[in-house]
Amino acid sequence: MLQIPEGACVLTHDALCVNEIVQSVGDDRAGATAVFIGTTRNYFQGKVVTRLDYQAYSKLAIKTMADIIRAAHRNANRSLSSHHPEQSSVASLIRTAVYHRLGTVPVGEPSIVIAVSSPHRKEAFAACEFILEEVKQKVQIWKREFYEGEREEDAEWKANR
Amino acid sequence: MTTPISSTPSASPPPPTITVLYFAGASTATGLTTEAVALPSTPLPLAELGALLAARHPHTNFSAVLAQSGWAVDEEMVDDPRAVVLKGGEEVAVICPVSGG
Repeated sequence: MLQIPEGACVLTHDALCVNEIVQSVGDDRAGATAVFIGTTRNYFQGKVVTRLDYQAYSKLAIKTMADIIRAAHRNANRSLSSHHPEQSSVASLIRTAVYHRLGTVPVGEPSIVIAVSSPHRKEAFAACEFILEEVKQKVQIWKREFYEGEREEDAEWKANR
Repeated sequence: MTTPISSTPSASPPPPTITVLYFAGASTATGLTTEAVALPSTPLPLAELGALLAARHPHTNFSAVLAQSGWAVDEEMVDDPRAVVLKGGEEVAVICPVSGG
């Protein structure tokens, strides 16, 4: 877990508790909290997925997650000050939490939860999507899918690009 | 009585080594998660490390994995492997295409 002024990044082998993560970004100044929950799907190209294993280069992955959160907060403040110069002293994102689960994630359970609190919905939605796309593209985490009726050694390491 | 270590004639210093970390497809291909690798010469351009590692794991698909992977050195992603040299002591990770989320 890494705490930064903008929020928190967590890699954990435990099940993700969505309520706790949402509460962790709670703030009385927030009018909106955007949440993304990524769950493991039970099929891929006609094959039945039995489970997914996630692995990370944790030391680097958590730094990359923190960089992404900082970038999201910077971007939001920049767009706010260009559209509403009178509000530029008000942060447009309040707090962000990014949790990624590692190890075996059974089908149907969350592998990633992102929560962003903001005074306004638009910035919260935009930041949540930005963070998800950046995490999928950059964070040093890998997913291996196991399929029904196939040998474990044949399970495939996925690539997002 | 006092013999400075540097003047001891018999012991040549051990070759500088790096620690290589393997994840995902790189780990599956090599059967390893980490490996200590002696550098044949220093400084060694990072761009030459792939061939050195591939030679340690013949008869695997590790070369193909390396061809589509990047590098991290001491917990920083490397943009241009030609601009980085290894002197020994570094932690180098093979970074396969990521698939988080």
